[in-house]
Amino acid sequence: MSQANHISRLERAARSAGRRLKLRRALTAASACLPLPLGYAAVVVGLAKVLPLTVAQARPWLWGTLVPAAFVVAAALRGAWSSRSPFEGALALDRHHGLEDRIANALAFSKLPVAEQTPLMQAAIADAAERAPKLEPRRAARIRLPRELAYSAALLVGLFGLGLLEVRQLRLVPPPIVQVRPMLLSADDVELFREIGQDLAKSADDPQVSAAARRFNQLVEDIAAHRMDRREVFERLGSLERELAESSELDREAQDEGLKELARELEKSGLTKSAAEALSEKRLADAEQALRELAERLKKKQSPPSKAELDKLRSALQKASAASSEHQAGIDQRRKELEEEEQSLLKKKQQGDSSPKNEQKLAENRRKLERLSRDKQRSDKSQQQLSELDKQLQEAARQLMQDAQAAGQSLESAAEDVNRMGKQQQTDEQKKEMLKRLQELREVLRQQGKGGKEQMDRMQRFGERARGGGKQPGQNGQPGNGSQPGQLRLTHGSGDGPGIDVPMPGSSPGASPGKEGESDGAQTGATGKGYGQGHDEHLAGDPTKLDGKTQDVTAAGVDSGQGAASAEVIYGAAQRGFVGRGYQKVFTDYQTVAEQVMQQDEIPPGYRFYVRRYFQLIRPRD
Amino acid sequence: MSDVEAAREEVQVFQKQVGTLREEIGRVIVGNREVVDGVITCVLAGSHALLEGVPGLGKTMLVRTLAEALALEFSRIQFTPDLMPADIIGTVVVDDSATGGAAKFEFRKGPVFANIVLADEVNRATPKTQSALLEAMQEHRVTVGRTTYQLEEPYFVLATQNPLEMEGTYPLPEAQLDRFFFKLMMPFPSRDELHTIIDRTTTDHEVKVSRVLTRDDVLGMQKLVRRVPVARHVQDYAIRLVLATHPGNAEATELVKRFVRTGASPRGVQAVLLGAKIRALFAGRFAASIDDVRVSALPALRHRILRSFEGEAEGVAEDKILDEILKKLPESKG
Repeated sequence: MSQANHISRLERAARSAGRRLKLRRALTAASACLPLPLGYAAVVVGLAKVLPLTVAQARPWLWGTLVPAAFVVAAALRGAWSSRSPFEGALALDRHHGLEDRIANALAFSKLPVAEQTPLMQAAIADAAERAPKLEPRRAARIRLPRELAYSAALLVGLFGLGLLEVRQLRLVPPPIVQVRPMLLSADDVELFREIGQDLAKSADDPQVSAAARRFNQLVEDIAAHRMDRREVFERLGSLERELAESSELDREAQDEGLKELARELEKSGLTKSAAEALSEKRLADAEQALRELAERLKKKQSPPSKAELDKLRSALQKASAASSEHQAGIDQRRKELEEEEQSLLKKKQQGDSSPKNEQKLAENRRKLERLSRDKQRSDKSQQQLSELDKQLQEAARQLMQDAQAAGQSLESAAEDVNRMGKQQQTDEQKKEMLKRLQELREVLRQQGKGGKEQMDRMQRFGERARGGGKQPGQNGQPGNGSQPGQLRLTHGSGDGPGIDVPMPGSSPGASPGKEGESDGAQTGATGKGYGQGHDEHLAGDPTKLDGKTQDVTAAGVDSGQGAASAEVIYGAAQRGFVGRGYQKVFTDYQTVAEQVMQQDEIPPGYRFYVRRYFQLIRPRD
Repeated sequence: MSDVEAAREEVQVFQKQVGTLREEIGRVIVGNREVVDGVITCVLAGSHALLEGVPGLGKTMLVRTLAEALALEFSRIQFTPDLMPADIIGTVVVDDSATGGAAKFEFRKGPVFANIVLADEVNRATPKTQSALLEAMQEHRVTVGRTTYQLEEPYFVLATQNPLEMEGTYPLPEAQLDRFFFKLMMPFPSRDELHTIIDRTTTDHEVKVSRVLTRDDVLGMQKLVRRVPVARHVQDYAIRLVLATHPGNAEATELVKRFVRTGASPRGVQAVLLGAKIRALFAGRFAASIDDVRVSALPALRHRILRSFEGEAEGVAEDKILDEILKKLPESKG
């Protein structure tokens, strides 16, 4: 190989080593600066976690990482192209191969013009060529990973970890919007139950009843405002019903029975006859008044009763006080009998008789005992009041023998007891009324829930027309549940059973639907709102001839007090809606009769509901 | 034979001659390889050496052995405070021995008129006497009256300093120190070396030094040294090295900035590069390398750096400063 070739070989190796050294410097410089963008990114990510920042908010800051990244690139470039001797690669080769700068010197001398090369220079070149047969630029200029990369690697791991880190933040999460499927009640029914609630609240004089009435009204308002779903509505209904049922303390029957017994005995004395009559007719206020008058008479000594009257009174009072306890004794006796029966059944079971029949008897016995316990509880409370009355009467009877005035005092106390009983009864009546209304509301809600949207739409239209709202000829809506167009069907329970149809105001029963252009005036005998168009085809006579020979007469009608017939009123209401004073009167009459019939006759509860509901729907509107 | 081959042979001969000389000196001087090489380097550079070491290390013997091996004239001057310049240079005496009774003035040459001069404890003499020697060292001639006497080449002065007895001495001024090519530190011999020394010097073992090189050989070698090429990057490194000894330089290290008052002169670069060339020839190479420069840097520059007051007070050695420079200075720079 010629010297030139040697030189080329040496130059190639030196250049290769030189490039590698540049790369190494670039890596070292870049590694030294790499913590900059990583640190910046770590700060941004950390702030994004802590503040917090959304991805969109953090993005511009993350783009800012490009700035320190540019520093890294600039440092790498600077490191690579920093001024170095052109023989840097050659020196690296000399070091690696232990050539003591032979290659570097040879390359330096070879660059000189030949004429300037001294013999020693040429000898140096030749010497380098001889001593460097195989050069290893890769080993001479190893590219090692800079130590600074370890810091950057650690920082990168930290950045990664920071990215995964979740910083718990206290965020006020808005309450989830609960999609309530509200319980729907038609506007008409809302108005109805509002009126009922107002009436209940007005009539309530007991604090408990007033509170219950307020809750009832609130419930109706909440339903109207669509604030509650079906479950919640029925829960509140149930809660209110339970509260009212539990607080109905008195065994009314027992109390009435006790008072009747009292009345029977008090009737025997002329002095207490009026009181006895009132008690037997359950007119407690009158009974109280009578007793007070008697007490007054005894106290004032003005026209005092005669001795015979007093004796009769004493005897009546004594007997009356004993009468009411008999009912309680009856309950105790029955209870005792049931307990004995239970004991015998249990004994049989212990002896080995576990037959289903025995078990059934035992269960039935226990049920009866539970019922009797409840009755006794109620009866005890009623009995307590009666016992007070008994005590006062007994005291009055005893004192009559000694001091009429003192007896009068006792009779006054007895009158107060009667007054309390009256009030309690009144409260119970109010509670029962409220319970009844709650059950009505429950049933109405159940029905409307079963009917779905169609039922609701029909109720809505019904309500509008009941108020005399506009009607569209021929548009009677779609039939549902077997009802004809222009009718509202009431069904009890699940809605599958029989029901009654309430005609929609403004529609004729049996009229065919969908006839455009028909108006009310075209109907025979119909009394439409507006005037008719054209002539009725059933005209009986010729058109009126106006010949001008007429005489105007002013005539005043005489009010016979009869007015329109009920049927006419009802029919008119069916057309115009349930409005008007005339309709109000007719409705009240019919409703009163209907209520009386329901109280007197044996009508199943389900049907009672039908009737009441019917009257609710056709009630007069304002 | 081509020039290249002639050059190769020349270098080989040089290498061989140096080897022979080393070997011959080594028969007398135990160890101290660096010092011996340093002395030979100074001879071949045509310059002088300053040797510092405690008494009894063989400084005189080294120089004498060198003179014998080179068959060159040797003289020793023991510097004392009362030494006069005339004691070194020589004096003019009246010579009345000639027949006829006419007396004439005759210049009697002093000890400086030798090829190899040992100036022992040069710092003990007065500056005036020192300057007489230093002039001879620099000029390679002596002027007495109106007559200039040329000193015969090769001319080599080895001056010594005793580091222990510095009190009452006259340290060489910086300007004078700069004339010495190398400052060599003679270390105390090791245990094994002492064994060898004792074996050689306390027995009847007698070593006779043979002449291995002639005066012409030495002169030829000196010329060859001058012809050794130095690549640009090597020269650049040597220059940067010397510049780094200056506190104001960009590449000056922390120690230089703190403890150096003045850095090395251009003579330092000359000494470094010549020393590098000679070292390359020692190794049989045809050109000086950066490593050669590094090796030559310490002896060539340690006496050319002036420490600051702080450096002197803290006792920071020049070698320590130079070591730091050699460690931190990059080999190549664009």
